[in-house]
Amino acid sequence: MKKSFFLFLIILVCSGVALAQTGTKKKRPLDFEYGRVVLNNYSEKAGFAPAVFNHWLHRAKFTCRLCHVDIGFAMRAGATDIKATDNMSGYYCGTCHNGKTLFSGSGKVFEACSKKLSAEDGRRCERCHSLGRNVKPEYEFAHFTAKFPKERFGNGINWEQAEATGAIKLVDFLEGVSIKRPALAIQKDMSIDAKMEGIPAIIFSHKKHTVWNGCELCHPEIFIGVKKGTTKYSMVEIFEGKYCGACHGKVAFPTIDCQRCHTRQVVGSEKPM
Amino acid sequence: MRNKRGSLAIALAAALVVLAGAPVFSDGIYAAAAAASAQDDWKKEFEDICSKTQDSMSFTPDELKSLVGRCDALKPRIEKLEETQRKVYLKRLQMCRDLLAFVLESKTGK
Repeated sequence: MKKSFFLFLIILVCSGVALAQTGTKKKRPLDFEYGRVVLNNYSEKAGFAPAVFNHWLHRAKFTCRLCHVDIGFAMRAGATDIKATDNMSGYYCGTCHNGKTLFSGSGKVFEACSKKLSAEDGRRCERCHSLGRNVKPEYEFAHFTAKFPKERFGNGINWEQAEATGAIKLVDFLEGVSIKRPALAIQKDMSIDAKMEGIPAIIFSHKKHTVWNGCELCHPEIFIGVKKGTTKYSMVEIFEGKYCGACHGKVAFPTIDCQRCHTRQVVGSEKPM
Repeated sequence: MRNKRGSLAIALAAALVVLAGAPVFSDGIYAAAAAASAQDDWKKEFEDICSKTQDSMSFTPDELKSLVGRCDALKPRIEKLEETQRKVYLKRLQMCRDLLAFVLESKTGK
């Protein structure tokens, strides 16, 4: 009796351990995988591997606004519905990836898709259509970001500081694509109170955000409320990808880095956050 | 005198050629030029409206209403473009219109 009870206990403990390992715990992406987007609306149907887009490489050179407003990429993976013919016509990836565009330090940007394929083009296709393929990237994350300021989460780079200190210089205008506009007037910072007692309030900086995003990337698609306090944000929704979570946690630093947003000292607290 | 007559004859001949050729050109080159002009028109209008999003906060509600109206009027013209151009510019126009309407709403409280 004792033996069978002992055996039962061992089985119970082992299965508990085994099940704990196969739970729904979300895997944290590696530095170079953070912000990666896989596009497969048409790739596999056309006999190609799904296309892999690395945000880290592109955000080091361009503002979010340039791609998501001027070029027209949607904010949700696959929602743009890009076809090879779109790229060939000089839109979406083909806006820059056309074999002609020159960017400082990069030389000519390789052509994304072309009507005629030569034997050598297979390698060119694989530069994007690379999921599951052993493709050596032109830019290696650790080397490319070695001199950028670091942070704890996301892909380990403090992109805001990188821009502010001039470690990266962002392109926000493309001739023939972007519209010439006056410089954006700087909006005031604002505070958003936390719902839980003892949690510091958020100081939201419009200035930091508009450098990357302009106005129409966030308003009204992501932040629809026109008057302060009308939209009730919750961390659950943000973790699910709404509001701040549209970028933070996907491409921008993740929302588990509480102190990056909740910065205002709580009244009565001696410790500044 | 001879030179004058010669010049007159050349000028007359040239005028006749132009007049006679006009109906032929109208179906070809002129039509293409008109299409190109129409193409430029929608883009000029698009750029003119959407260049104002950066300083939309400085516009009066009436100005914003007018800009939103221009967006709505432009939409059917963009819908006639070829597939890729239509997809790109309809999205861009929508973002631009939404922002202007958003600012208008914030100003009028409606």
